[in-house]
Amino acid sequence: MDHLTSSKLTSGVHCLNIRHKGMYVTSGPYPEELNFYDPYDATAYWCVETQRGFGPDGKPVRPDMCSGDRECCRH
Amino acid sequence: MTWGWRVAKYTWPEKPTLLSTRVLRLDGPDKVAGRARYTYDINRPGMIYGRIVRSPYPHARVTSIDLAAAQTAPGVKAVVAYRNPGDEVHYQGDPVAAVAADTEERARDAARLVRVRWEPLPHVSIEAQAMDAAAPKWSTTQENTRPGVRQETGNLETGFNDAAHVVEQTYSTHVITHVCLETHGTVCEWDGDKLTAWVSTQGVHQCAQGFAQALGIPQANVRVITQYMGGGFGSKFAPDSQGIICAKLAKLANAPVKLMLDRKEEHLDTGNRPSAFAHIRAGVSAEGKLTAFDGRSWGTGGAGAGSNFPLPYLYQFPNRKRVHTDVYINAGQQRAMRAPGHPQGCFLTEILMDELADRVKIDPVEFRIRNAPPIAPNAQWIKYFQEGARRFGWEKRHPTGDPTPGPIKTGMGVSAHLWGGAGRGSTAHVDINPDGSVVVKCGTQDLGTGTRTIVTIVAAETLGVPMNAITTEIGDTQYPFSGGSGGSTTAASVSPAIRVTCTDALNQLFAKVAPTVGVQPDDLVAEGGRIRGATDASKSVAWKDACKLLGTEPISVDGKWQDGLSGAGTSGVQFSEVTVDIETGIVRIKRILAMQDCGLIVDRLTAESQVYGGVIAAINFALYEDRLLDRVTGQMVNPNMEFYLLAGMSDVPQIDVVLNDMPERGVIGIGEPPTVSTASAIANAVRNATGATIRSLPLHPHKVLAAIEQQRAGGTN
Repeated sequence: MDHLTSSKLTSGVHCLNIRHKGMYVTSGPYPEELNFYDPYDATAYWCVETQRGFGPDGKPVRPDMCSGDRECCRH
Repeated sequence: MTWGWRVAKYTWPEKPTLLSTRVLRLDGPDKVAGRARYTYDINRPGMIYGRIVRSPYPHARVTSIDLAAAQTAPGVKAVVAYRNPGDEVHYQGDPVAAVAADTEERARDAARLVRVRWEPLPHVSIEAQAMDAAAPKWSTTQENTRPGVRQETGNLETGFNDAAHVVEQTYSTHVITHVCLETHGTVCEWDGDKLTAWVSTQGVHQCAQGFAQALGIPQANVRVITQYMGGGFGSKFAPDSQGIICAKLAKLANAPVKLMLDRKEEHLDTGNRPSAFAHIRAGVSAEGKLTAFDGRSWGTGGAGAGSNFPLPYLYQFPNRKRVHTDVYINAGQQRAMRAPGHPQGCFLTEILMDELADRVKIDPVEFRIRNAPPIAPNAQWIKYFQEGARRFGWEKRHPTGDPTPGPIKTGMGVSAHLWGGAGRGSTAHVDINPDGSVVVKCGTQDLGTGTRTIVTIVAAETLGVPMNAITTEIGDTQYPFSGGSGGSTTAASVSPAIRVTCTDALNQLFAKVAPTVGVQPDDLVAEGGRIRGATDASKSVAWKDACKLLGTEPISVDGKWQDGLSGAGTSGVQFSEVTVDIETGIVRIKRILAMQDCGLIVDRLTAESQVYGGVIAAINFALYEDRLLDRVTGQMVNPNMEFYLLAGMSDVPQIDVVLNDMPERGVIGIGEPPTVSTASAIANAVRNATGATIRSLPLHPHKVLAAIEQQRAGGTN
């Protein structure tokens, strides 16, 4: 089954400045949770440089946006 | 006390003296007496006050910013532009500039003198509006929707062929804001190139990283302090724009700056729970087994942010398909909010479950038991449905629609939930001093949940001394690293770290004491303020006398979380009984029963408090809270605590909490799960009372009346 939207941030693909709560809590794994529902991504993202959900260029911070040749992206 | 490390190095005691008992919060007296100092209470010498200038428009372009008048206003010490001409703002409350002045009043006055010229742009404020192909765009560069990937399991056609009954309806939940009692805010003070920040945050170490990276300074130069904070619910993990603005104002003014947001800013720009909609077609067999689920969902996380949630939730649909679409509107962005996604997915699924149960004429509890995952340590739903039904008096529940004459109808509802709650990664430090005093340090923070208390419980339990012998130091980046307090991970991260560190320190003390007591270190135990032989209690020494043997050198130990002391996966079921006045549409909750597990309970009192808090928050979600945007102006019409409704004391019902002790699973977090299923249990009780299905939160009186009217016209089931 495919993910609706991926919460995974891949080094070399996504901007190094993207942040989400999961990066800041010391959460242990719970693999059995996918027995009870399918994967989903409810994550709120922000930029560490602006400390908001918009990057330095004013565009939203999301994995699908914070990659590639976006000018403010840092790899 | 049994020292399990003889078998496995670190375990919890088999016969604890403090763990799992009801221990009062250590900071309760300080909070009640007003001695507890929250960020808002921090006042530094020479401190001035910051104020942010925000966009009044839901969507606009900044054409110019003139700071001159503000800069020369009385008492003003610093003014900064946060945006540049040409920048686009995407919601009411988007920050644009900031000022700092010697009083809060002068800061407000100066903020009004910042002259921003705007080019208003078309906006969208509700989901349906945004999804219209002809709608204005929320951004000049972005689309209003982002379709997700199709998820499919099994064979939907087969599933519907196996169905004896099919329900097809649209369900929804609304946007609510976090409404932290203590608003977001910061006090920043520079000493040369070193920053000290008192922040209302869920993560002191994480906040320090944010300051360092956003300001371009070494993290070693940042100290963040949070001794007390008034709730975050997922919205306080970073310095945020107001934190960075505060630090910049303080640098510019060369003075400490306090910048606390007001309630309106809190509603507009510090996060919210996204809305959730789903059009669902679901099938059930004649035997009451779920066969098929076909869902198309959408929701908004505001300006450019996602809105996904788990769907279907918990119950086993063997054949299912779902596609989710994120919808963007001109409103503040979502942030993690107490069990992100779960309350939405739970509500949408659980209302459907009652409708399906009625179709096959099976009691809702029995129907859920037939379709719940099998019992496992992390999946106790079937047990809770059965035991909860007995405790709640479910046998007194009438079929859908209270036949009692008169306008006041009574009904019962049920719902279930789950959460992970696993921890890892925390570190701690303990000093056992020669005078017998003990200092435990951990860079975690207490959001109001009782972390300070549980740290002390674990230390006292491990060292066998009274809790008042322990000095617990938390809420400061000068203490060892601990994770942010979110995802219900704190208790499961911190408790093992304290247990491990204190065990190591005690073992060092045992080694010192053993020759004096005449017992091998491995045969010593600590309990009741003494160290004694495990098999010969006559060989003992008082804790203070034992510590005197340290001479001039304290025992000083660093430790960290280790596997085996915590677990993952909690389950819970909630029952609700309500009355509904079918003439006014007013719902009153009579009682709620919460069946919940969280592994090893550290403090029964604070664990129960987590459940109370979660249930009350969900009552607000179900009956009161609603972020209302005016579709014409794009303005939030209730950015306050007058028209943004919350339950008062008289709205809170009897809440019975049943915690299932599972010490063998280790510590598991409980902050999030109890808030997940309450709203759907209430809505199902309203359905049982009135016979009308309300598929959309909140259950405001006008919606209840509309559903009853529709039901009378033969429409809702």
